[in-house]
Amino acid sequence: MARMLRSVLRNALSKPATRPFPEAPRAEFEKARGLIAFDCTDCRFCGACALKCPTGAIRVVRGERRIYFEPFKCIVCGACLEACRFGSVRMGPERRKPVYEKPVEVYAKPEDEEPPTPPDRGA
Amino acid sequence: MSEATNVPFGPQHPVLPEPIQLRISLEDENVLQALPALGYVHRGIEKAGELNDFQQNVFLVERVCGICSSIHALAYCLAVESAMGLEVPKRADYLRVVWMELHRIHSHLLYLGLLAEAFGFESVFMEFWRIRERVMDLLEMTAGNRVIISVCTIGGVRRDIDAEQAKTIREELPKVREEAKRLVDTLLGDYTVKRRTVGKGVIPAQAALELGAVGPTLRGSGVAQDMRMAGYAAYSELQFRPVTFADGDTYARTAVRAHEVFQSMDLVLAALENLPEGELAVKFKGRPEGAALARVEAPRGELIYMVVGNGTKNLERMRVRVPTYANIPALLSVLPGCEFADVPVVTLSIDPCISCTER
Repeated sequence: MARMLRSVLRNALSKPATRPFPEAPRAEFEKARGLIAFDCTDCRFCGACALKCPTGAIRVVRGERRIYFEPFKCIVCGACLEACRFGSVRMGPERRKPVYEKPVEVYAKPEDEEPPTPPDRGA
Repeated sequence: MSEATNVPFGPQHPVLPEPIQLRISLEDENVLQALPALGYVHRGIEKAGELNDFQQNVFLVERVCGICSSIHALAYCLAVESAMGLEVPKRADYLRVVWMELHRIHSHLLYLGLLAEAFGFESVFMEFWRIRERVMDLLEMTAGNRVIISVCTIGGVRRDIDAEQAKTIREELPKVREEAKRLVDTLLGDYTVKRRTVGKGVIPAQAALELGAVGPTLRGSGVAQDMRMAGYAAYSELQFRPVTFADGDTYARTAVRAHEVFQSMDLVLAALENLPEGELAVKFKGRPEGAALARVEAPRGELIYMVVGNGTKNLERMRVRVPTYANIPALLSVLPGCEFADVPVVTLSIDPCISCTER
């Protein structure tokens, strides 16, 4: 009985073990693998990232000076990050939010014009 | 003699986390025969491994299993390293041990929770998974992800554990250990749990060896066989003795896993204590040529990877032998004679991982 009472008191006074998830998500760890983004300022469009990507989520078109990135093919392994010699690939700790559509992200050098609409990839 | 009733156990069943079917013939409540039907989650990963670049395969083989993913990556890397004759830096060996043992801890805690749930001990299930979450946090803190941690690469590891992270692990693991100890004592000391597990699904040591059982299933029958004794990564330099229990029943297999949780915690702490300084990975040139085999101890037992390289960037063949596949014959040998109500618990006691088995 005394043991039970101790247990009851401890659980009544302690914080809950769970979090109210959508309202209070857990803080990300500093080194967590999160969103991949490209910063094309120093990019030479060499295509090393696309070559190393195990899922084919990155497509680099040198002639257009564009990087086409499909975030929902990406498995956030960080192989592109390690392959890039110019520091153009960034990975932050924050996770991708749920979405309705899966658009292809287009990256270009800041001085270049507005990126064109992504090409039709066929079926 | 009454007529036998055939009951399909699975592919969808509350105690099975993954789809496998056991076609069970019953006479009254007693099992006469159990036949497995596999192939519900085949994904063709072995073939994909032949079509991919051998370096990118590391990310592919991690996706063979959803629980012991990094151990698959380690086995693949060991096989390719052996085919290429690469020497892995000492620090990478020790870091591999840290991550593999953290993986073993969370896998065994998952099993203990699932077993408790299999006979309706829901509160212990929740408690086990609550403390498992703290181990997952350690994995995420050090490797960046919870399960598919992508730390192994051919020639070493891709991430480092710095002094601060090592300190956090050293502080956190004893706390987890204390809580796990309390829960394990509850689970293994409970009268009801003992009634459901002691003497159920007994695999004698000789039968376990003959049927080729591996891992905790074999060690629960009293055979001290653990691939970590072979000394891959840094295991040869750490004090290591396999946990065995002699009874061969569901209780013994559970006890082996429960004690391995504590053993793995000791291994993580020992590896962090002796962590040498140095490089994380060796740079290499060339491509794998010839056949090589790697045998490692996954949480469920011995995992074998064989790679055959032909000097190109694609492998000629990649073959995976997973522990659950080796344990299924042992499971089928004990089901006849069981009561039908014990089938879920006995089936779960080999900790089946169907995604691995069918790849």
